[in-house]
Amino acid sequence: MTLTHIIVFVAAALLYMTLLPQHWRKWALFIGSVLAIFWLQPPVRIDKFDFVFPVGTLALVTLAWLASRDAEQQWTREDVVSVAVMAACIVLVSLGRYLQEDFRITPSRPPALPQVAVMLISVLIVLALVDRLPVGRKRLLLPVALLILALFVILKTEALAEEASRWLRDMMGQPTHLARASELQWLGFSYVAFRLIHTLRDRQTGRLPVLSLRDYVTYAIFFPAFTSGPIDRAERFLKDLQALPGLDPARLTQGGMRIVIGIGKKWVIADALAYMALNDVKAEQATSTAGLWLLLYVYAFQLYFDFSGYSDIAIGIGQLFGIKLPENFSQPYLKRNIAAFWQSWHITLSQWVRFYVFSPLSRFLLTRKRKPSPTFLALVCQVTTMIVIGLWHGVTWTFVAWGLWHGFGLFIHKVYSDRTRPFYIGLRARPRLMRAIGIAGTVVTFHFVLLGWVWFALADIETSWDVFLRLFGMG
Amino acid sequence: MDRNDVKGKLRAFVLAELIRNPNYNLQDDEPLITGGLIDSFSLAHFGVFVEETFDIYIPDPDLTVDNLDTLDQMIDRIMQGAAS
Amino acid sequence: MQTWKWLYDPAAAFNWRFIFSVAIRVVILFVIVNVVFALVDPLPALGSISAYNHLFRGRERLPYGENAAVSYNLSLNQIDAMFESHVVASRKDDDEFRVVLIGDSAVWGVLLEPDDTLAGQINRLDYHTADGQTVQAYNLGYPIWSLTKDLLLLDYALDYDPDLVVWLFTLGSFGQAAQMRSPLVQHNPDPVEDLIKRFDVNQDPNDPRFVRLSFWDKLFIRRRRDLADLMRLQLYGVPWAVTGIDQEYPDYEPRLIDLPADDTWEDYTPQTLTTDDLALDVIRAGVDLVGDTPIVLINEPMFLSDGENSDIRYNSFFPRWAYDEYRRLLDDYSARYGWFYLDLWDGIPEADCYTDSAVHLTPECSARLGKLVGAAIVELADQAGRQDND
Repeated sequence: MTLTHIIVFVAAALLYMTLLPQHWRKWALFIGSVLAIFWLQPPVRIDKFDFVFPVGTLALVTLAWLASRDAEQQWTREDVVSVAVMAACIVLVSLGRYLQEDFRITPSRPPALPQVAVMLISVLIVLALVDRLPVGRKRLLLPVALLILALFVILKTEALAEEASRWLRDMMGQPTHLARASELQWLGFSYVAFRLIHTLRDRQTGRLPVLSLRDYVTYAIFFPAFTSGPIDRAERFLKDLQALPGLDPARLTQGGMRIVIGIGKKWVIADALAYMALNDVKAEQATSTAGLWLLLYVYAFQLYFDFSGYSDIAIGIGQLFGIKLPENFSQPYLKRNIAAFWQSWHITLSQWVRFYVFSPLSRFLLTRKRKPSPTFLALVCQVTTMIVIGLWHGVTWTFVAWGLWHGFGLFIHKVYSDRTRPFYIGLRARPRLMRAIGIAGTVVTFHFVLLGWVWFALADIETSWDVFLRLFGMG
Repeated sequence: MDRNDVKGKLRAFVLAELIRNPNYNLQDDEPLITGGLIDSFSLAHFGVFVEETFDIYIPDPDLTVDNLDTLDQMIDRIMQGAAS
Repeated sequence: MQTWKWLYDPAAAFNWRFIFSVAIRVVILFVIVNVVFALVDPLPALGSISAYNHLFRGRERLPYGENAAVSYNLSLNQIDAMFESHVVASRKDDDEFRVVLIGDSAVWGVLLEPDDTLAGQINRLDYHTADGQTVQAYNLGYPIWSLTKDLLLLDYALDYDPDLVVWLFTLGSFGQAAQMRSPLVQHNPDPVEDLIKRFDVNQDPNDPRFVRLSFWDKLFIRRRRDLADLMRLQLYGVPWAVTGIDQEYPDYEPRLIDLPADDTWEDYTPQTLTTDDLALDVIRAGVDLVGDTPIVLINEPMFLSDGENSDIRYNSFFPRWAYDEYRRLLDDYSARYGWFYLDLWDGIPEADCYTDSAVHLTPECSARLGKLVGAAIVELADQAGRQDND
């Protein structure tokens, strides 16, 4: 989101609050989100793909909806209208082709109408075929989840993404030697993918409420949270969606304040810190150990203010439209131990991984004939979970290293806290000592996280290792 | 399913397997996780225990500290699972 | 962070009255801030607040650069802030003999690391004056040819208590048309006008290229860019201090050897140049400006081509006739006024001493120039010292 996006979203929210009658609000959020994902999508160098990616998002979300429907759920009139509305929006957006650049919402000229028609019809045919497959809906859950996962891995693995880019360029008749992994910038994909997998898995366990296509799509691509989360949960989102309030001064000010705070964090603090934050170039250029530490400290705060500011803005805009998105940060750098850090840093992602990786994995291991020892269980589950969180950011060795760093950190914390539990319970009687130990814990935890960013911030493992050594005066 | 029956089995499990102190005088509304008696790892144990003992599957997203911090809350969740 | 909770999630619900009163206050505050800002014009004062030389080390040359993200440096027009970011603004040691170097991009040191610029080379040689003071040279060169720009910077430099001034130049800075080309001159009309009037310089103080701000231009919202420049100058101080990098070092095209068969310079064709054609009066103004402070004037070395058409031109910048005229006039003038003047035009004759332009030196040849200039500094310093003692 840029400042322009935010201003337009806020203006739209004001109109929405003051003018729209209750029964139109859900439709407004639906249509608004469908249009917004075209507008938010940054330009892609592969011809037409800044149009194709949003269409792909809508197709994928609809496919996931088909698969995640309850066994009894039938097509309703509303669902049919929703399909028609999405198709109409896509056509409408594509008509931007015939407008001046200033009046179209896509970053480049959309494809011609016949091409759009072919694209739409093929998507609809595929979806219709999937809908009529003579197998139980539950059998669709896994394949669709795997498809999403496969796309995810391709987009997030540099070699695969570059190959895919080459292939797409070839298809579009563009020079293939210019293919770059970075040009497959499918906006919002990682967040949408995790939302969809959540609904598919929750259908499997019978936990997902019945969602109409409109509500499902709105949930998956809700525009304030589209680019960078938070990753909401469908049942929570649906609850808000069913009671969208109108004009309310409290919500207006709270949402507005939240946006202002977010803008301050992101565009004032984070952008100022960005000038002096650690990156590959500066890491190599730094001439002193103290300087390197400074760059790293700045990086830690730049990252926090950037991401949490962004989340504030998303939450604030959501609030204006009557959706109370979940919090993503809760003073993470002040936490007393690494477990508490992970309950307050990118909360919605760590919750997701907790529900769909950590918990199933521990339960799986606990039901084995030979039950693993609690220590081994903790080690395997923590490390796996954190590696998954690492890989979510990109399939690279640096993110694996970062995941391992935190996985082992959590494991060590777990072993430590198991052994010291009676001590800490006894400490309740001595609040001052507890406070002192708490502060020491915060300092240690922060620096553990800080050193973890060395893996996260830099492009390759050699650079990270080199910086790591230099931070301690070696190398 | 009888609530007292569930409570008896669950209490024995929590004391023996999670707190690992069968003599601990646990209150029904005493916060287990936020109180620092056990950690959130125990939620997976709890899920497996409920599945094996009562044949009730609790989906992973329900295994949260908010939902299952006290003995009472745990019993409520099991009874809810039994009812559906 | 939750400490802001009182603001966006207070105990009492917001109502329309609250929103209205906040909105009114915001508008009033906005107007007041803008008007006060325009009336006070606090930019020079803000420019003199600097973290350089306090939180981190000062820059070794004046801020200048187009690609800030790579060079951790940027061009701005606020001279106070520029000087405050420079190491010259740090405290002068008791035994320091402070020498400031004024001049163009060759002095600033395009493609040279700070230590390899002329000032850096002089410091490396560790000169001492006869009475035992350590010569400490400061690089106050600034790109773009204009003696008026040099004079302007010299005026500011005098606030930092120099013991001696070295002013390097070449013909390019002398053209009357060149004087107003520097954005620094254009954006600082008041001090430039003051200098023009004080020293009776032959320039138009009402030149339309001077950027003079009206009341509206001075409003806070209109000066966002200048404020942002000040901010960025401070922020880039950290990567500068950590990395010691203050310019981009791109691959470059070497200076031309084969030259066009063109004998014009500025708008002049071969003719006899007069003192009116060259801004010699700006040099005179500079000498007057420094007063008792000794000043070394140096015609800087340049590349002398022996390629195609080198019978017409010395290099891509200057045709032979114009440059010869310039040297002749400068010789006459300096003799007439008794200036301490060094003509080093062919002082570094080797072709491979020059990098991307006919006046930019390699580190090795910059070191040689350092010896020549260093010797002159010591000589003049000792002369001046003897006069003081007499």
